[in-house]
Amino acid sequence: MSILTITWKDLVLFVKDRGRLFMAFLLPLVFILAFGYAYSNFATSNARVVGLPVVNLDTGGAMSQELLDRLNPEHGVEVKLYEQAKAHELLEKGDLKLLLTIPAGFTQAVDAGQPVVLTLVRRADAPESDLVALSTVIDGVAKDLSLQNQLIAAFRQMGQMMSGGPGGGEVFAADAAIEQAKSQFQRAKTAPLVNVEQQVPAEILRQRAEAPNAMEIAVPGIAVLFLFLSAGTTALAIYSEKKLGTFRRLLSAPLLKAELLPGKMLPNLIVVLLQAVVIFAVGAWVMPLLGMDKMSPGNLPALAAVSLLVALCSTSLGVLLAALCRTEGQISGLASVVLWVAGAVAGAFVPQFLLGDFLSTIGKITPHYWAISAYSDIIVRGQDLAGVTTQLGVLALFTVAFFAIGVWRFRFDA
Amino acid sequence: MSEPILIAQELHKSYGDNHAVDGVSLQVARGEVFGLLGPNGAGKTTTISMLTGLFPPDSGSITVDGLDLAKQTTAAKAKMGLVPQDLALYPTLSARQNLTFWGRIYGLKGKQLSSRVGEVLKMVELTDKADKKIDTYSGGMKRRINIGAGLLHRPDVLFLDEPTVGVDPQSRNAIFDYVEELNRAGMTVIYTTHYMEEAERLCHRVAIVDLGKVIALDTPTALIRSLGGGILLVGLGEGQAEGVAQAVAQLPAVKAATPTDGQLKVEAHRVQEALMGVLDATNRLDARVTSLEILEPNLESVFLHLTGKKLRQ
Repeated sequence: MSILTITWKDLVLFVKDRGRLFMAFLLPLVFILAFGYAYSNFATSNARVVGLPVVNLDTGGAMSQELLDRLNPEHGVEVKLYEQAKAHELLEKGDLKLLLTIPAGFTQAVDAGQPVVLTLVRRADAPESDLVALSTVIDGVAKDLSLQNQLIAAFRQMGQMMSGGPGGGEVFAADAAIEQAKSQFQRAKTAPLVNVEQQVPAEILRQRAEAPNAMEIAVPGIAVLFLFLSAGTTALAIYSEKKLGTFRRLLSAPLLKAELLPGKMLPNLIVVLLQAVVIFAVGAWVMPLLGMDKMSPGNLPALAAVSLLVALCSTSLGVLLAALCRTEGQISGLASVVLWVAGAVAGAFVPQFLLGDFLSTIGKITPHYWAISAYSDIIVRGQDLAGVTTQLGVLALFTVAFFAIGVWRFRFDA
Repeated sequence: MSEPILIAQELHKSYGDNHAVDGVSLQVARGEVFGLLGPNGAGKTTTISMLTGLFPPDSGSITVDGLDLAKQTTAAKAKMGLVPQDLALYPTLSARQNLTFWGRIYGLKGKQLSSRVGEVLKMVELTDKADKKIDTYSGGMKRRINIGAGLLHRPDVLFLDEPTVGVDPQSRNAIFDYVEELNRAGMTVIYTTHYMEEAERLCHRVAIVDLGKVIALDTPTALIRSLGGGILLVGLGEGQAEGVAQAVAQLPAVKAATPTDGQLKVEAHRVQEALMGVLDATNRLDARVTSLEILEPNLESVFLHLTGKKLRQ
């Protein structure tokens, strides 16, 4: 009962504080709008060259060689050829995270106009950055190759028809050639000769097919940044209660200490959850009205579960900050530095696949990284609750650690 | 003394090497206004904090109306109300919202809550400003609401920790009136202050606290009477205080004469007669008088007598 009384009072105080309202709800939307516009011009090309292990079973084939030639550093890819057995051994040991296999008879099949499949095997722990970059490039190169060969095949067929009988010259009229080219171009898009099939572990088989749009890239990062910035608000709310002297009065009231901290945490938990609802709802339904891409919210139960855990983690971090800091300046300073920097290295401002290995590694020590990764898996890759269990587990560990250290170090008598 | 409602035995509290409270024992009678008098830093607020259950003592025990505060914490706390030294209110909420919140915290609800909030607002004479934000109030008005918040649940024991700090004379008198009114209604009040005149006016008994210890405990009258007719503080030239002290110690009007740091403290049975004797002795001994102060017998001079320093030093 007392928890709810404290919660209600804190929510009333929150609503009366325009600065906190702006920070919690309006600022994230401004960021999403700004970053959404920035990402809408985002090109997939970037300077980083990613190594691509390849097994070529089409030994000596002209088409496979052409494919390998096109997968070059100019496209951000550097091919490394492996023997099949060795490659699979390395893949199994985890020394290789990705492996592209060109099947035997690749050249023959492409020449004959028959569909052929390239296999890209991905380990569960493959860097997301590499996977996104390589998938994009391989897919593009495969489509180019398909189009080229389908056009050649079509023109070859027309040449045969022209030389094969009377009236052939009419068949090879310019209009007919253009129509044939259009048809092949369309086929190369909808039914390409060369396809790329990703073989992935069971838990990520449900990946959705489309590439993420600007909102889907921007919203998870900005959402996580601001949901965790609320940790500073939680800490300041606790500090403010102490500074006002009302904390002493609460301690003298017939409450248990065990009711006090949850009473201070619950309102901030509610605010963070409301923030999440507003941010994702705006990304999904309001931003399209402003001419931006529409974010697909993905699996809603999974989104809700991650948001609940992020809210708990952020609130626990707030208790930890309140326990460690002695002054308002310390809270503001520490919260600003830690939470903004953590957001930056975790991929709040740029997609995680662009962070590079160093920042990705550093980012993993922040709860932000796992929260962004979970949201991205749900929104971008169509994962459900089962697909984000690792991230949920890590976030739960952060939450427990923050809360335990926070309560341990918390000075009730200060 | 009638039946004690609050018993504290051998309370100790240290912060590192600082013994903030060092063996305080008190018994407060039901219906009594009990004063804790001492300078800033004497340990009054730490003692109050332990008595109200803000934090436990390092050792010692506290019983409130027969309930052990350490074991029956919630029930014991429900019998007490604290008016902290700081204004423990939410400035962006109105007086009514603040009182409603604190009433709920103490378990009031529904009509009982709204009626009690109305009564308290009337008592502190702020009914007409009840819906204005606290941060628009004057210092005195804030103090009155601060007191009101501690009264909502009609506590058996009310702790007032320096309630008149920073208050204008009009609000100070109003606060005295509230305390007297509440006490007439049967409420036990524990009042901390470093203003001796407040303790003299309001308190039935006073505990004088210094350096974390109770150094005297009695009615203000008895404490003052123990001092006799008053105190003379005589500033003397270097090395002359000892000789003058010996010369005046035997005078019939002098209770005791103590030399301290170039100064002579004379406790007098009859202050005028003692003064004449001191001046006569300084003339005879050719001692140089650098200052002279006559302290009327009151709690301030009692404190000075007991500790060698002034309450507001």
